[in-house]
Amino acid sequence: MANTNKMIFAMVAGILYVVFGILKMLEGFGIETGLAESLLIPGDFFGGFCFVVIGAVFLYAVKELSAGVHMGVSYVYVGILMSLVFMAVYLLVMGADLLMFYAVKSEDYEGWRIIDSMRPGIYLGLLSLIGYFYWKDRFTTEMTKV
Amino acid sequence: MEKKKITIALAGNPNVGKTTLFNAITGARQHVGNWPGVTVEKKTGKRTYKDTEIEVVDLPGTYSLTAYSLDEVVARDYVVEEIPDVVVQIVDATNLERNLYLTTQLMELGSKVVIALNMWDLAESRGDKIDTRKMEDFLEIPVVKTVANRAEGIDALLEEVVREVDKGEHHEHEVSYGDDIEKKIIELEGIVGKDSALSGKYPVRWLSVKLLDGDENILEKIEGSSVATQVNSVLSTIKKDDYEAAMAEKRYETINTVLPQICVKCVNEVTFSDMIDRAVTNKYLGIPIFLAMMWAAFEVTFTVATPLMEFVDMFFGWLAGVVAQSITNPVLGSLLGDGIIAGVGSVMIFLPNILLLFLMISLLEDSGYMARAAFVMDKLMYKIGLNGGSFIPLLMGFGCNVPAIMATRTIEDEKERLVTILVNPFISCGARLPVYLMLAGAFFGRNAGTVIFGIYILGIIVAILSAKLIRGTVVKGKPSPFIMELPPYRLPTLKASAIHMWEKGSIYLKKAGTIILAGVVFVWLLSAIPAPGVDAAFASEEILGTEDSLIGVLGHIIEPLVAPLGFDWKVAVALVFGFIAKEIVIGSMGVLYGTGEDEDALAEILTAGAMTPLTALGLMVFTLLYVPCIACVGVVKKETGSWKWTLFMMVYGTALAWIAAFLIYRIGTAIGWGL
Ligand SMILES: Nc1nc2c(ncn2[C@@H]2O[C@H](COP(=O)(O)OP(=O)(O)O)[C@@H](O)[C@H]2O)c(=O)[nH]1
Ligand SMILES: [Mg+2]
Repeated sequence: MANTNKMIFAMVAGILYVVFGILKMLEGFGIETGLAESLLIPGDFFGGFCFVVIGAVFLYAVKELSAGVHMGVSYVYVGILMSLVFMAVYLLVMGADLLMFYAVKSEDYEGWRIIDSMRPGIYLGLLSLIGYFYWKDRFTTEMTKV
Repeated sequence: MEKKKITIALAGNPNVGKTTLFNAITGARQHVGNWPGVTVEKKTGKRTYKDTEIEVVDLPGTYSLTAYSLDEVVARDYVVEEIPDVVVQIVDATNLERNLYLTTQLMELGSKVVIALNMWDLAESRGDKIDTRKMEDFLEIPVVKTVANRAEGIDALLEEVVREVDKGEHHEHEVSYGDDIEKKIIELEGIVGKDSALSGKYPVRWLSVKLLDGDENILEKIEGSSVATQVNSVLSTIKKDDYEAAMAEKRYETINTVLPQICVKCVNEVTFSDMIDRAVTNKYLGIPIFLAMMWAAFEVTFTVATPLMEFVDMFFGWLAGVVAQSITNPVLGSLLGDGIIAGVGSVMIFLPNILLLFLMISLLEDSGYMARAAFVMDKLMYKIGLNGGSFIPLLMGFGCNVPAIMATRTIEDEKERLVTILVNPFISCGARLPVYLMLAGAFFGRNAGTVIFGIYILGIIVAILSAKLIRGTVVKGKPSPFIMELPPYRLPTLKASAIHMWEKGSIYLKKAGTIILAGVVFVWLLSAIPAPGVDAAFASEEILGTEDSLIGVLGHIIEPLVAPLGFDWKVAVALVFGFIAKEIVIGSMGVLYGTGEDEDALAEILTAGAMTPLTALGLMVFTLLYVPCIACVGVVKKETGSWKWTLFMMVYGTALAWIAAFLIYRIGTAIGWGL
């Protein structure tokens, strides 16, 4: 059943976003999690909160779908859309960094590498991008219909 | 103990089980008579529930409350004129769409309604999944499941009825008829409201809606009143049949946006729009989702703007260089370099932020999400004495308070509108942003973003608490119903949003070229004139922006007012001129500290001892809260039509600002932050 796929997807995405969100919030408070460097997690309290919200949306989908509520897929779609919005935000931030490095040649950006602007919002967003294309029909046809 | 007596009326479409429910409640102890003057049968009965004696009146079954038939007139007149304590609408759970039409009309009448969701057994066996909790949320009406022929749910129903009576206040939702019709409704409300005999007896909005509906019965009532000619002249401007059809359609449209949220199986097709709504209006997730979207908009506004700001900065740096090289006249050179370029440049540098902020607001508006945000916030707004309708004007304040205050015109209730206007200036507008960016950037480095977000949150909190305070004291009253409107989602096009962005952003540019330019030139002029008794040439280097200039003298006069907050005379002057436009707080600091267009130089001077992180924070909070700019004051006067309220707003805000900055400075110093 298609909903089983969506449920598994929502479960994985939900847990990832909640965990990363909590890590961002902890780092934002100045609590060293030891994972900041390897996972490129910035300390960012509000940004972390947003991740937790996205994760909660996915997990709500799991809750409804597992209770047999078909409309629970709504939360999968909204979770995907939100994580894509955040992916876009972090890509824009990366674009801004590129401009600072190449066009402005700011002193603060000496030795900057593109990986320095890589954020969980971008690589976790890839997961949602896959989901988006996998269930693309739902997004494109319905979007234009309304 | 004396028993409490209440009257309830049973309303509903034909064949929904009204008679059966009536019998189940009253045990068939009924009195049958006729409604006064007509031959329609009137049944009443009694029931004692706990310590409440309930008189139950069975209304004729009707599909709507428009005066098409005698039954409808009887049912309606009873609800409007006798005002039962609660109207129980019996809704056939297997036929929600049609039954909810009557509900929308009862909502409009402002009656306290409890819905008995009857035939629940049939709906359930059919496999419908009706979410009664959601139904209560969307309609703001208690819903109780009943099976009348098995007398199930009767006690729960009566319990809810008694609770509703005791509640005193209740918050209704109403149908939105769209801009054109709403305009006419507001116009008619203004007229009908003047006849106290009419407005005392009937809800004014309802009268206006019915007039546009072409309701003969109401037209007759108007004929005999003092406002007949005025009403007729408005009605003669419209095509009645078109209006009637359009309004019925709007009611069904509202039902159809709500229905998929309440019951998935009850509708044939669930659109993607319905699905998104299900998540973004979720009871628990709605507000967090809204906050996350705001944060995303915020992040783009700030981070993405950085390189663009550098470009603007480079441009002004280049301009300053050109001026310094080619202008030999020292006075003219100073006017251009130290005055205009320093002042306007330090404001213009924030143009990218402003444009991006407006772009984000436009995207949220154009996608249709804003209307959902208003719906989600309605409950919260109700708690502070307003309703969801006040939310969008407040949100628009993040761009600029002037159009935001003008947008309050869509709020019908005068008192709510007044409160929304009065607290709007606390919502931090784009013009205040340069001040935060400058100060937070200089003093809080890596945490600048968090500090600025905190300032915005503080503005929101102050607005909320002030609204609650004002609503509970000087502008008392019950919040009016929230007019529900959930337009379909659209993928916003970058082009349309960019146009909206430019419409608003160009105002900022124009402002920079006119009022801000004039303001900074004035500040420069004052700082170029030697103080009395000082022997120096006009605009000479050694007096410019120092205590030996006229502005220094003025600054020292007002300094004692802000000295307790840890501000020096230059800040005092900057704040005074900030009344012209808030950006000038930064613009005039650029002039006064003699740092020209160079933001970094200003930051360096400030951090080198002119200010501490604590006074910088105090100054940000003060800028947030104190008297709004002159354009904003003007629009408040215009929209409230009252100097009294305008002055109230100015004094209230400035007093709050002073107290807040004082507390920050004193407490911060006491616990050792003021290093
Ligand atoms: N299955 C079911 N039938 C009901 C229920 N309530 C009423 N009925 C039946 O619906 C029919 C119409 O009821 P009635 O009370 O005459 O409707 P009225 O026209 O609204 O007064 C009767 O046959 C009732 O027995 C219910 O909750 N479940
Ligand atoms: Mg009957």
